[in-house]
Amino acid sequence: MIGHIAAALIAGLFAASSALAQAPTGKVTVVTSFAKDVTDPFKRAFEKAYPGATLEVQNRNTNAAVKFIEETKANNQIDLMWASAPDAFEVLKGKGLLQKFQPKATGIPAKVGSYPINDPSGAYFGFAASGYGIMWNERYARANRLPDPAEWQDLAKPVYFDHVAIASPARSGTTHLTIETILQGEGWEKGWRTIKELAGNFRQVTDRSFDVPEQVNSGQVGVGIVIDFFAFSAQAAGFPVKFVYPSVTTVVPANIGIVANAPNKAGAEAFVEFLLSPTGQEVLLEPSIRRLPINPAVYVKAPADYPNPFKDARFQKMITFSADTSESRTAVVDTLFDQLISFQLAALKDVTKILHDVDAALARKDNAQARALAKEARDLIAAMPLTAQQASSKDVTGAFTGAKEKGARQAELEQQWAAFAKERYAQAKTKAADALKLVR
Amino acid sequence: MTVALAARSAPAATRGQLALAAGIGLFLFLFLALPTAMVVFVAFTEKGTGQFTLVNFVDFARTDLFVRSFWNSVYVSAMSVVWASALALPLAVLTTRFTFRGAVLIQTLGFVPLVMPPFVGAVAMQLLFGRNGTVNLLLDDAFGFKIPFMEGLNGVIFVQSLHYFPFILVNLSASLRNIDRAMEEAAQNLGSSGFRLIRRIVVPLAMPGFVAGASLVFVKVFDDLATPLLLNVKDMLAPQAYLRVSSIGIADPMGYVISVVLIVVSVAAMWISTLALKGKDYATIQRGGGGLGRRTLKGWENLAGHAVVIAILLLVLSPHIALFLLSIATIWSFSPLPDAYTLAHYNRVFAESSLYIKNTLVYASLAGLIDVIVGTAIAYLVLRTRLVGRQWLDWAAMAALAVPGVVLGIGYLRTFYGVTLPDGTPLAALWIVIVLALAVRRLPYALRACMAALQQISLALEEAAENLGATKARTVRRIVVPLMTGGLLAGFVTSFSTAAVELSATLMLVQSNSDAPLAYGLYVFMQSSNGRGPGAALGIIAVLLVTICTLASHYIVERRHIGAGGR
Amino acid sequence: MTGAERRPPAVAVQIRGVNLSYGATHVLKDVSLDIRPGELFAFLGPSGCGKTTLLRLIAGFNTADTGEVLIDGRDVAPLPPWKRDVGMVFQSYALWPHLTVRRNVAFGLEERRLPRAEIDRRVAAALDLVGLGHLAERRPSQLSGGQQQRVALARTIAVEPKVLLLDEPLSNLDAKMRAEVRRELRELQQRLGITAIFVTHDQEEANTISDRIAVINDGRVLQVGTPMELYQRPSNLFVAGFLGTANILAGRLVGTGADRAFEIGPDLRFPVASDVAVTDGAKLVFRPQSAAIGEAKAGQAGLPGTILDLEFLGATIRYGIRVGGTRLVVDVPFRSGEPLFAPGNAVTVSLSPAAALWLTD
Repeated sequence: MIGHIAAALIAGLFAASSALAQAPTGKVTVVTSFAKDVTDPFKRAFEKAYPGATLEVQNRNTNAAVKFIEETKANNQIDLMWASAPDAFEVLKGKGLLQKFQPKATGIPAKVGSYPINDPSGAYFGFAASGYGIMWNERYARANRLPDPAEWQDLAKPVYFDHVAIASPARSGTTHLTIETILQGEGWEKGWRTIKELAGNFRQVTDRSFDVPEQVNSGQVGVGIVIDFFAFSAQAAGFPVKFVYPSVTTVVPANIGIVANAPNKAGAEAFVEFLLSPTGQEVLLEPSIRRLPINPAVYVKAPADYPNPFKDARFQKMITFSADTSESRTAVVDTLFDQLISFQLAALKDVTKILHDVDAALARKDNAQARALAKEARDLIAAMPLTAQQASSKDVTGAFTGAKEKGARQAELEQQWAAFAKERYAQAKTKAADALKLVR
Repeated sequence: MTVALAARSAPAATRGQLALAAGIGLFLFLFLALPTAMVVFVAFTEKGTGQFTLVNFVDFARTDLFVRSFWNSVYVSAMSVVWASALALPLAVLTTRFTFRGAVLIQTLGFVPLVMPPFVGAVAMQLLFGRNGTVNLLLDDAFGFKIPFMEGLNGVIFVQSLHYFPFILVNLSASLRNIDRAMEEAAQNLGSSGFRLIRRIVVPLAMPGFVAGASLVFVKVFDDLATPLLLNVKDMLAPQAYLRVSSIGIADPMGYVISVVLIVVSVAAMWISTLALKGKDYATIQRGGGGLGRRTLKGWENLAGHAVVIAILLLVLSPHIALFLLSIATIWSFSPLPDAYTLAHYNRVFAESSLYIKNTLVYASLAGLIDVIVGTAIAYLVLRTRLVGRQWLDWAAMAALAVPGVVLGIGYLRTFYGVTLPDGTPLAALWIVIVLALAVRRLPYALRACMAALQQISLALEEAAENLGATKARTVRRIVVPLMTGGLLAGFVTSFSTAAVELSATLMLVQSNSDAPLAYGLYVFMQSSNGRGPGAALGIIAVLLVTICTLASHYIVERRHIGAGGR
Repeated sequence: MTGAERRPPAVAVQIRGVNLSYGATHVLKDVSLDIRPGELFAFLGPSGCGKTTLLRLIAGFNTADTGEVLIDGRDVAPLPPWKRDVGMVFQSYALWPHLTVRRNVAFGLEERRLPRAEIDRRVAAALDLVGLGHLAERRPSQLSGGQQQRVALARTIAVEPKVLLLDEPLSNLDAKMRAEVRRELRELQQRLGITAIFVTHDQEEANTISDRIAVINDGRVLQVGTPMELYQRPSNLFVAGFLGTANILAGRLVGTGADRAFEIGPDLRFPVASDVAVTDGAKLVFRPQSAAIGEAKAGQAGLPGTILDLEFLGATIRYGIRVGGTRLVVDVPFRSGEPLFAPGNAVTVSLSPAAALWLTD
């Protein structure tokens, strides 16, 4: 043990003589939502680069990790939080559980796509970029004669009915960003309309991000709305899956942050620096990880077909994502999604199926009255219980945070919204059924 | 709470019994009630202000989703009991009442479904019974239709029955074994046979075991969140609680309100089962005499018996068969069987995860041991003493069944993280806390088994020992415990094997990789496409470990029994 | 109870050459018995002798390896227990704890799908017969041992079986109860006119109520006969010893003609007439009351001995006397005022040769 520490000290002295201000020694504890396949290569590379340090990985899902850090803050034993979803870091930052730091790494641009890589206040740092898109199982698609999707809207087509999976944004930070991207890209009303049209084709709304790629991998579901690296690593593992970035999407960074009162602050800082260094960035290219480095120089070493958000024109066109807007209404959007879609999926699918049938019949023989009824039905489905302004208003958000200004309790709002959707979906179903009678 | 009640005990209670009750009460208070209360009190507070309120419960009753979820949960739990009984009954009867080749093996295999490792188990079930699983792909190919095994509430009932029927099997078998053969022979002698005999004599006498098992299944299904979530059924109570508790950024009391409802319903179900059995003296035998009457099956009976057993075992073990295939598969995607086979996953698991296996064995054994000791103590206090409030010990312990693992995990962190050892390590960071959490979570299983075992021992046997000069404590040690061995072992095995694959609470409490149990390793593997094979391999290892332990304990029970029996 | 009059005539039970083994243990060895219609028949033997196995064989709970069991002349081998129509009262009573007394007694009738009214009538009659009509709604756990025994009996006779089997029916009762119940049992059996077989290890129980007894030991039937026959003319040492008290003296036959005698020890001879057949290895057996203490009268033989102890039995006094190396017992009628022998007294045990039995194992 003493020898171990001595060795670490000596290594530290050597390191000090190089460019590093402080050398890492001992155990660096990181809590992460990343899989072993992601963390192991980093652990190996980091421990090789800093022989005096060991990386202790605690694996928890993002929510559990946040809860854990929160619950144990009185006697914190964690150095680093390492996860995808930026909003988890926002929560930690908001509670003062992250420590500010200024990394020295160079060659990293301010933005990837239109998203700032680092937290402006320096509480957490992007280390890899991820884009959201559509993943599908080729065997499944062939057996069910599904065309290759390209845009979100494609998934609303009748052919995809009952073939699409998504994770609930309330439980998956990455899906939340996808939903928020669509809402910001298309606007509140139109965005929700798109989302509900997609949702009418959902096979399921899963409760963990990874369940979606898992279901697509095993062929239980044909198409999944996922974060890119899930698809890339599945491809690398040999699964018959494909992936596409739709044009309305965004790339956002996956992040790392130093936990306040980190027991091994020096080690934590060293790991952040390592992650942002070219050596660390190159680890991202490993087949089991396959995430997009945020150092553009590293792409030289990437395989030929590797997406490059800094060069690829698609990424440059991507919409500007406002983290502030997203942050202000996170709970509202997530709850709306659950109350209007997740918990009403059967009713929503029911009416969507009828509308698909109406469309098919109309394509054969037009009927203006039926067309009008179908439109009314679609408008009923698309109707939202509150506007974009209301969604961000203190009145509504207060119900979720327990603030004083709240208009109603969360449970009351939920019941209102659910009842709203239930009623509209039932009305839409009647209209759609009437339309179907006209064209039969 | 329980301690206070016990203190006002009837004069019949001895000092030792009081001390025991106080000890158990303290254990339950520290490791169950306190941590749970640390979390669940949120249900009684107003969001934001933190003031006491009951309005959240009013909201619960006013929300359609919750009311619907509640009744769905009741329906699914009840139907699962029905189907689980249908699966368990033939196995229990055939293996305990007949000379049946491989009875020990069947009893063991019949237990294995309970040991379904988290995450991988779900994947394996989907690959077999899912919409595009093996069965449906083959059906579609051959006949052009699919069976929605895993759809909606019926899907939940299907999976839960397969998963939890061992609770009924284990308890019912123990009960059946304890029925004096003369009870059955007397009925035969009076002209009863076959199904009527089973219905009129065997079933009522086996009731204590059956009710013990059935109430476990009911409560377990009621509180289970993993299966509904796997099948994407969200309008049930436990998933609703989970979805709320596990969402971040929402300090929402409703999740905890649902937890409270779950706890109350579970305790009520247990209470009703206790009431149902009250006043029935089922100590039907003086063990050591009489014993089990086993009939030999002849000709076609034997054939039919084996056919039934094999069919049931195939059905209930199919998830494990799928899991095994997954563990040796290269790629398995939208096809009845994997593309090719490999042993690489096992190599990877042995290279990376042997530590998890060792930890799991240690934790689960310790947890099982604690459970059996505490379970026996509670069973004894409840059934054999007249301490005031002794029932509360039972109910409190059973309430553990209803405390979601996440809640308990967070509760442990809140309660014990602030307590530090002299060197500054938080108490919650020690691996023994994982053991305690596992023990508390699995205590209800062991407790039911201990209760059933003790219920069937005639009081006269204890009185005989006391009459010969043994003190209460020595009677328990020398007479009661040895006679309960079968039940205790059943309790231990249930606790041990389910603890071995427990995840929710441990995930929250694992502080370092070197202390992590197997379920944590599974979780880590199952976060990536690459980890599916190794995850399945680790799952298979877990199942094998548990199976071997179970088989060994069954073997011991059977041997003891054969040694004692025979005329 | 009017059931007795309506009953069909009693039936015979025959057992022919039955052998039965549990694994390597040969439990019943070539057992053959004829039990007559209406008889109260006892299987008497020490525990483990196979008597319960034989009873269970008749009930159908065991299967013979060879041989057959005939009830009313019909081979019952193909019949399962529930089709045999033999009623069995179990040693443990086997009352079902989840049913009331009434439901216990009604069980067999319900199994026979009798009309409800008929069931009620017969349950009431059976309970009245055993005097427990007032306890019909109790549960078995609320009854005393004697009451439980009667319920078990009522349960069995309610179905009016062809044959009544009783497995150690009195073993769980106290001594006073036992005498009472056994008399009731006998009375009931007579009243019902039913063929009944009961298993016991208690010779007094067998003697007092049974018409005939089969003495069983080590899986073999040693002797069958009325209690008196067995007492007076036991066919071997085991039967002699098992039924009543017997003095057994080992020795060897010496001399011929008038000198023919049984040499028990040095200078200890018992004369044996030349026409008395004595098998090789036979022992001299006599009952305690067949001998007397005092000088041998004409035709009697005298054996010198020493008083060891005495027991006062009421009507008699039983002396323990050492003769040679053996302790004998001799019963002497007690007459008040007559002087008693004291331990250590030298006496002569006198026995007439007619009272002597010559038995082998």
